[in-house]
Amino acid sequence: MRPDLGRHLRLERLLAGVLRRGTWLATGVIALGLALTLIGWPDSTAAVTMTSARIVTLGVALFILLPVFRVLLMMIVYVREGDYCFGAIATLVLAIIILGAALGVHMAGAMPG
Amino acid sequence: MSPGFGAWLFAGSAVASAVGGTLGMASGIFIVPILIALGVNIHAAVAASLVSVIACSCGSAAPFLKGNLTNIRVAIVLETATTLGALSGVLIAGVLPAPFLLFLFAAILLVSAWQMMARRRERVAETEDSNLRDWATALRLHSSYPDQALGRDVYYRVRRVPLGLMLMFAAGLISALLGIGSGVLKIPAMDTALRLPIKVASATSNFMIGVTAAASAAAYFARSDIDPAIAGPVALGSVLGALLGAQLLMSVPGERLRLVFVAVLIALAVQMLFSAITIHAGAHAT
Repeated sequence: MRPDLGRHLRLERLLAGVLRRGTWLATGVIALGLALTLIGWPDSTAAVTMTSARIVTLGVALFILLPVFRVLLMMIVYVREGDYCFGAIATLVLAIIILGAALGVHMAGAMPG
Repeated sequence: MSPGFGAWLFAGSAVASAVGGTLGMASGIFIVPILIALGVNIHAAVAASLVSVIACSCGSAAPFLKGNLTNIRVAIVLETATTLGALSGVLIAGVLPAPFLLFLFAAILLVSAWQMMARRRERVAETEDSNLRDWATALRLHSSYPDQALGRDVYYRVRRVPLGLMLMFAAGLISALLGIGSGVLKIPAMDTALRLPIKVASATSNFMIGVTAAASAAAYFARSDIDPAIAGPVALGSVLGALLGAQLLMSVPGERLRLVFVAVLIALAVQMLFSAITIHAGAHAT
């Protein structure tokens, strides 16, 4: 058995970089949104509050998408290298996550409030 | 959102995450009890906590990956089971009554406390039977990691993948129901079923936690169950707290901290049981 068979150093470094930068991006967006909320608070016009709340929501959405993007990257790299078995496994994980989100949308429509 | 409430959420999450990070634990297990104590209902607390679980997992993944501790092949295989578990959890979460979730949470807290007390020890490597034909071999999951103490690479074989998948389904389910990373369930599953070395198990569990939580968080988000006014400050506090915790981890002596941690977990379990009984009694009284 080749001992280093399971290693994929290049992909591991790629994922490390994406996760680190993505965390800072999402954190920065949330911080910006919250800071705007604080600044806009004392004489809040409805417009300012809406915008800052949307920025916070965007940051939260970025955090949720970050691991999903990580799975997508793994899928692309595995498929490009001809490792179709692991490409399929990554696709399955992606499909389950997307199914969950689709069911969530469906349930939100079914039970308002 | 009132800025005062947001500040409380931020501060509470930062403390929870710093304390959790000091002992290498995800913050979710503290954040949900804190949110409940601040008057957030358990379903909203779970949804908000999941975002911070993702943040902590993604934020701490890089050093483990660069240290060659994370087995990403094992992770993606097991993620099929954790995401399915998470999906099932989201589907049944709305049906389960709050007292049941609080009881379940208390049970998980007690299991964590017990696990903290029981020292983890490395298993003695078993005899190499390299002709073994099993899932792990077919999927090329066996790998190696650099051991600092030994100063060389240690090779390991992965075992009993089907059992691991079943345990991971349960871990994903609990994660979606309670808003925790359930590293507390994942690490022992990898230790006892897959026989991964502890360091590899912790790193790989941490890596998987983000995707598991993202599966349920995406569904909750799509269902508009995530309130950004709660999730935003909590996620921000968690990331900053985790950074602080990683610094403290270097300087605080381990043994006393472990005991404090166990005491906190038991206290939180008692608090959760108490509120479960109160809600239950309240529901019967009216």
